[in-house]
Amino acid sequence: MKFSKPLVIFIILTLALVIAGFSPIPVYVKHVLILTLLYAYMGTAWNLMCGYAGRLSLGHSAFVAIGAYTTIILFRQITLSPWLGMLMGGLLAVGVMLLIAYPCFRFGLKGPYFTLASIAVMEIVQNLLTSMRDLTGGSLGLSLPYKPTSLALFQFDGKEPYFLIILVLWFIAVALVWKMERTRYYLEAIREDQDAAAALGISVNKNLIKSAVISAFLVGIGGAFYVQYFRYIDPATVGGFSIALNLALVAIIGGSGTILGPTIGAVLLIPLSEVLRMTVGSQLPGLHLLVYGILLVITIIYLPKGIVSIPGIIRARKIRKANLALTGSGIAGGSGADE
Amino acid sequence: MSDNILQIQNISKSFGGLQATQDVSFDVKEREILSIIGPNGAGKSTLFNLITNFYKVDSGSILYRGENIVGLTPDAVCLKGITRTFQIARPFPGLSVSDNILVALLAKSKSVEEARDKVPAILEQVNLDKKAHFMGGQLTTLERKRLELGKALATDPEVLMLDEVMTGLKPKEMDEMMDLIRELQQHMTIVIVEHVMRVIMTISERVIVLDHGRKIAEGTPQEVTSNPEVVSAYLGRRSGNAGN
Amino acid sequence: METFLQIIASGILLGGIYALISVGLNLIFGVIKIVNLAHGDFLMVGMYLTFFLFTLYKINPYTATLLVFPILLVVGLVIFRLIIKPLLGKSETEVNTILASAGLGYVLQNLALMLWKSDFRAIETNLTGKSINIGGMMLSSGRLWAFIICVVVALVLYYLLMYTKLGAQVRAVSQDTDAATLMGINVNMIYSLTFAVGIGLVGLAGCIIMPIFNVYPTVGTYFNTLAFVIVVLGGLGSFTGALVGGLIIGLVETFAGVMASAELAQVFSLLLFLIILFVKPEGILGKAARV
Repeated sequence: MKFSKPLVIFIILTLALVIAGFSPIPVYVKHVLILTLLYAYMGTAWNLMCGYAGRLSLGHSAFVAIGAYTTIILFRQITLSPWLGMLMGGLLAVGVMLLIAYPCFRFGLKGPYFTLASIAVMEIVQNLLTSMRDLTGGSLGLSLPYKPTSLALFQFDGKEPYFLIILVLWFIAVALVWKMERTRYYLEAIREDQDAAAALGISVNKNLIKSAVISAFLVGIGGAFYVQYFRYIDPATVGGFSIALNLALVAIIGGSGTILGPTIGAVLLIPLSEVLRMTVGSQLPGLHLLVYGILLVITIIYLPKGIVSIPGIIRARKIRKANLALTGSGIAGGSGADE
Repeated sequence: MSDNILQIQNISKSFGGLQATQDVSFDVKEREILSIIGPNGAGKSTLFNLITNFYKVDSGSILYRGENIVGLTPDAVCLKGITRTFQIARPFPGLSVSDNILVALLAKSKSVEEARDKVPAILEQVNLDKKAHFMGGQLTTLERKRLELGKALATDPEVLMLDEVMTGLKPKEMDEMMDLIRELQQHMTIVIVEHVMRVIMTISERVIVLDHGRKIAEGTPQEVTSNPEVVSAYLGRRSGNAGN
Repeated sequence: METFLQIIASGILLGGIYALISVGLNLIFGVIKIVNLAHGDFLMVGMYLTFFLFTLYKINPYTATLLVFPILLVVGLVIFRLIIKPLLGKSETEVNTILASAGLGYVLQNLALMLWKSDFRAIETNLTGKSINIGGMMLSSGRLWAFIICVVVALVLYYLLMYTKLGAQVRAVSQDTDAATLMGINVNMIYSLTFAVGIGLVGLAGCIIMPIFNVYPTVGTYFNTLAFVIVVLGGLGSFTGALVGGLIIGLVETFAGVMASAELAQVFSLLLFLIILFVKPEGILGKAARV
């Protein structure tokens, strides 16, 4: 069957992560694992709208910031449990997404225009957060008041609970995308040619909005996790271009528009950048991000479908060779001429 | 009345100052093959776009089984049972040929599995079974046209609207395509926009002639081709077309 | 009333500078139809070059244009050859060039961070802090010079585009690549030239604004957004549009900055940007708008 191989990879990956997370590895490695899963999770959410539907957002950190700030502000102001805050953050992210996505899709914003609009939304959110100093602490940011380990308050002294939570979130996101098979096909068709998709009875706007809403909700939840885990946020870090680009990066390098692409991208990139940051970060700040940039450019030029496309490319090459041999022996000349 | 599956009533459309469709009315009978012809720029493709609601009509109504479908979205029109092809075939270039068909099947299938089961039959029908794993973007022009038809058939339409499916085909391929269309007529109503006169004369039961966005004639192929106004519309502008 | 005029005058000066920053971006979009997200980062490169030419070799920022413009022109040629050209004419060119240029911008920013740390750097020329009194309005000398140079650059560019053979070729390519190819125009050459000039121009803008703004590795991000707002406002690909857009945003930001905070001023121009994107697509699509 077609899906058996990714399914096997998914199961092995999940098991490996569970074992790794609970084995006696250094705390720092656990931190890298959590970070990897966070980006795999948010990259998977990004991928739904931007990979499958091809509406490239480079402003998704807006929704990370909304999720994070909603959670922390509700906790600081009215001591609302971060679990509820997380839900509220996700819902608020959906609200903001609808505000922008509806007109975007309604007015048929595509290609570069959609991307520019997404960046504008990110900048608006970032500027608003900076300017609402009373509530957000402005550009100085907010820190989470320390509480001893408490499940109800979503604060833990060890890494394991955070690991488990983000593992579950990641699992849910991947399984959700997996389950949405019909929608994935619709979104792909819309990405390829939205008029042709409409002519086949596919509702373009409905499916785009659906992908945007789920994407924003999941990323908003990711923002809530971010603030609970890092205990500190400021508008530039959580709502800036870095996170937005990283989400795109893990998905694209892994393989955008595929179920496991973002996860594979995160598994490769996040540890790499953390190792770079740890080893040469003090002498060469920014080196790990520089590597990101170079990898992105190289991937876009040489491997636009990402790492997951490598087996397919090899297979296609083999088939082409086999076909060449066939046509070569059968009909002379013909289709092999372009090789 | 009941044998008219589609009734086009006084529809008009203008783009800026250009009147693309002007007060056009005609009926489409159940299970007939109706051709729409006319010189380049006569408004044939616009008419297709209006009937399928890719463009909104400025005035007039379009009744499908007695129900006005003006104002529906194109996808809703398709779900009602009217499917169109595009003059320049539009495969999904990044999807495989079988996924192209699968996507088209999905809208009217209960599950993805159900749709997947139906793919081979349609691939066979449009003679693309050997290309199933090719990408839509890798096909030749002829194969693209066949895929375009296959996608339209996959939506299981009651009215199939074909926009210039014959253009660029060799005579033998045309014969095959005509056979296929006649076969399809057993199950559905077919509206064709076509340039190739031989095809129109052979397969259509009735012909509508458009010129400058207006309907100038309607009738059997023989009636229409002997209509002086039609002849002058064609010959008045250029003469190369009718020879085919 | 006097302060009102003062705000208007400052707004116009600022707008001129903004227009100069955006004009290269617009040129590249107008002709090659690609969005260069690294635009602001090339501005940053131009600013750093100017900074070091001034502090190390005592070269005046305005004289530095004679060096920085050609240097970035060459950088532009190389970048076009290495990154942009391989992506043209393939599937999803629009999206891929955005991503590749975003990656390039990231590289430039972090290269700057590695080389020069995240410190804010400024230069003090003999114009720093000086103003000129014109009709009762105090205008900053640096900004006035920047404005004048912007006008000169705009006129030169306009002349080149409208009254030279090369300019006619560039316009032909921007309107219809296929037709231009049929007429024997080397489209690839025009593309690389346009890209190079676009990058050169933003480098030149870097020289001009160095006496007015601080430079730091991510300074480009701020100006990038600004440039896109301006260009979309005036109509992507429209040359005069960039000038008009620059003036509008200069005025809007100056007024909003006086009445509210700097952040809200930016929010205001970004909202304007979104509204234009939504309701005036024929404006932003420029000549590509069709039936």
